[in-house]
Amino acid sequence: MESNLTNKYIELNMGPQHPSTHGVLRLKLTLDGETVKKVEPVIGYLHRNAEKICELDFYCDALIYFDRMDYVGAMNMELGYLEAAEKLLNIEPPERVKWIRVIMAELNRIASHLVWAGAFGLDLGMLTPFFYVFEEREKILNLFTEITGSRQETNYMSIGGVYQDFNDKIIFKIKEFLNEFPKKLDEVYNLFVKNDVFISRTKNIGILEPEVALSYGVTGPMLRASGIPYDVRKDEPYLVYDKINFTVPISKKKDVLARFIVRFEEMRQSVKIIQQALDKLPDGPFFNPKAKKSLMIRLRGEGDVYARTESTKGEFGVYIVGDGSVKPYRVHVRSPAFKNLSVLPYLSRDVLIADMVAISGSIDLVFGEVDR
Amino acid sequence: MSLLTRIAMILSFLGHYPSYILAYIIETLIVIIFGTVVVAGMVYFFRKYMARVQMRIGPNRVGKFGVLQVMADGLKLIQKESIMPQGRDDLPYKVAPLLIFIALMMGFIFIPYGPLAWLGTLTVTHSDVSLVILFALIAIMPIGELLSGIVSNNKYAVLGSLRGVAKDISFEVPMMLSVLAIVMMASARGVSPLDINGVVQAQNIPFAILEPLGFFVFLISMAARASYSPFDMGESDSELVTGNTTEYSGLRFGMFYLGLFGTIFLGSLILSTLYLGGYNGPFESYVGFIWLLIKTLVVVVISLTIWLSMPRVRIDKFVTFGWKYLLPISFINLVITGFIILGGIS
Amino acid sequence: MAYEIKEEKSKDGRKVYRIDRDHLVELMNDLKKEGYDHLSLISAVDFRDRIEVVYHLEKSSDNFSMLVVKTETKDNHMPSVASIWESANWDEREQYDMMGVIFDGHPDLRRILLPEGWNGYPLRKDYDMSKVQYVNMDEEGNDYVSFDPGDGW
Repeated sequence: MESNLTNKYIELNMGPQHPSTHGVLRLKLTLDGETVKKVEPVIGYLHRNAEKICELDFYCDALIYFDRMDYVGAMNMELGYLEAAEKLLNIEPPERVKWIRVIMAELNRIASHLVWAGAFGLDLGMLTPFFYVFEEREKILNLFTEITGSRQETNYMSIGGVYQDFNDKIIFKIKEFLNEFPKKLDEVYNLFVKNDVFISRTKNIGILEPEVALSYGVTGPMLRASGIPYDVRKDEPYLVYDKINFTVPISKKKDVLARFIVRFEEMRQSVKIIQQALDKLPDGPFFNPKAKKSLMIRLRGEGDVYARTESTKGEFGVYIVGDGSVKPYRVHVRSPAFKNLSVLPYLSRDVLIADMVAISGSIDLVFGEVDR
Repeated sequence: MSLLTRIAMILSFLGHYPSYILAYIIETLIVIIFGTVVVAGMVYFFRKYMARVQMRIGPNRVGKFGVLQVMADGLKLIQKESIMPQGRDDLPYKVAPLLIFIALMMGFIFIPYGPLAWLGTLTVTHSDVSLVILFALIAIMPIGELLSGIVSNNKYAVLGSLRGVAKDISFEVPMMLSVLAIVMMASARGVSPLDINGVVQAQNIPFAILEPLGFFVFLISMAARASYSPFDMGESDSELVTGNTTEYSGLRFGMFYLGLFGTIFLGSLILSTLYLGGYNGPFESYVGFIWLLIKTLVVVVISLTIWLSMPRVRIDKFVTFGWKYLLPISFINLVITGFIILGGIS
Repeated sequence: MAYEIKEEKSKDGRKVYRIDRDHLVELMNDLKKEGYDHLSLISAVDFRDRIEVVYHLEKSSDNFSMLVVKTETKDNHMPSVASIWESANWDEREQYDMMGVIFDGHPDLRRILLPEGWNGYPLRKDYDMSKVQYVNMDEEGNDYVSFDPGDGW
């Protein structure tokens, strides 16, 4: 038997209650002094088995469990489910709804990336930018409150439509926000990247080669920061993304700083997308009469559908199997954060604890989504 | 006439020695109260300043503008149950926060505060080797840090205290070397160089102007020792929870907390005493204490601004910086000082 | 090719390969060589008499176009593809955890979301949801699962 005294490694248990694990991630670390030799993520502390609950509910009711998956980017979760469910149920949303959904999803993408930037700053010991980004995010959430009646878990979209139509006042307010936002965004951006200590903490840390990233199933800003321009919005356009002019930011640097810059560039692109969508927003009904409230629970679907959408964390896939009844037979969610987390053990071999925290912060973990 | 003699004169009916002993005790109490009040004021000021920087309001509920918030927090800390970990080494666990707190408070005693109006000079005690004693006291504090980490039976605490001590030691050497340059300067001017009072009197021109390199080294080393945010690898909250203080709660945690702010204030005091001319002011002053306070507050504000605007430096890079750059710079500073003294420029 | 593929179209127009279990790894290896370097998702669907395992593959060189591979098992055993794509590692653990599919050849087949020792597989259609299971901690700090509430509840 090996004695404890001769054991050169320290076993350290980080989490599930720990300041920098973004919720309930637990990391089993094997340390050699300050160097991390091995990381084993332990997840499931927030597991609610939303997939099973979805099987027990009507197609329209399953939506609220998607709100609670990635609660920071709830609109994108709803959108992902609806893309699959509407294909399965053969319901096409009206044109105006598609544009409204684009606007809401992109607004929420900005909000989610802002939260990420703040939390990432906290991971590196930067307290101040947190408040700057949360002020901007609060403006978006106020818009959400006005449009949907709720801040985070909005439950705004529904099968074949949305809960409420946009009016002129809302459009004016969003435009007003978008006019001021890029300036504020640059201010926050400069708070980070003009700081030499921040650069030294992020540059050349956590390098993820593109082949490895693909093999681990990494998607989203993390994959794009490794130089692969995979964005479902471009590669398999859903809603009306093919009618919108935007670019997919990528970086060849592959490190933590690249992920940071890619996310900020994405927010700028989102602003462009929303501005175009607001200009092109057509008139029309805001729900499909085939799926109005009284008919909603009678919708039946058969067959299987896998829909990909680009959520804030990456490729969000929903696989629904229907057996012809009013309830889904099987719902399976491809959670991008779950896949992105699986690369953490690979990235954090032989790095310092401080770097490991920076790397795990750069993944953008939301545990509602990882554990589902 | 100093405050001490005044108090002793009031108590002179007790006889010479008892009156002086009592006067010492009273003035020590005054300094401890002064220290605590200043540190508490600094905590309040820090929180308000931090709130302004972060576009918040800050404490505003307890008392007018929240001035009593710190007192409320202190009372809360005293009332709280002190939860102690199992498997701790009991005596060192309890001694460690006291060690830090007492060393800090004793540090305040040796600072020459200078005169304040009719009260006379406020300096508590005077020693021919007060500079040595002061830095010896500062050197005690890492021991408290190390003890608290190692005996509290927690891996985060062990890692945190090891980090903290590694950092403290690597910045102790450049700091002492830059102080050595000051002693050389002071002794060239014919004052007793190991007495802080002498060092202050020697500064017709503040040493910061004569020795910019030494000032730079001392500023960084003092910041590293005070371990506020960019340099707080010992208790980096996003990595090691709170490092060596992880297992402390209640009053003992309060001591560490006061120790943090106290060290910032003491460090700023020492910096302004040794490099910025101490109680010397632009006018022939009998309010030297005010000058000292102003200089100290400026240094404190600079420290807090650094605190609020920087992410945490990585421990290995920071320690390397200490050994590879700061140490050679402090040697160069020493050599330059030698040439200055030889050339008789002073 | 030593195996037979039945090609179909799924409801949303994706290309579906249907293959029997024994030739799965062979096919997957060929597909990887063909350029399908991104395994999007492994799902398992419980059809009571059989479990269908569905692989969603993406080809990075062709705008991440998607290919679906379906296979099924009657005795809960499947060959593992974790050696082909790293991402299959956690996916297969998840399907083992939720659906009870045992992936032969998997390097580290443990439960991932539920605690070790959980009774039953929650996404199976015959999973008994009326029984409450409790997670408690034993003397040494390890979790264990039981139907008995224990002291903590």
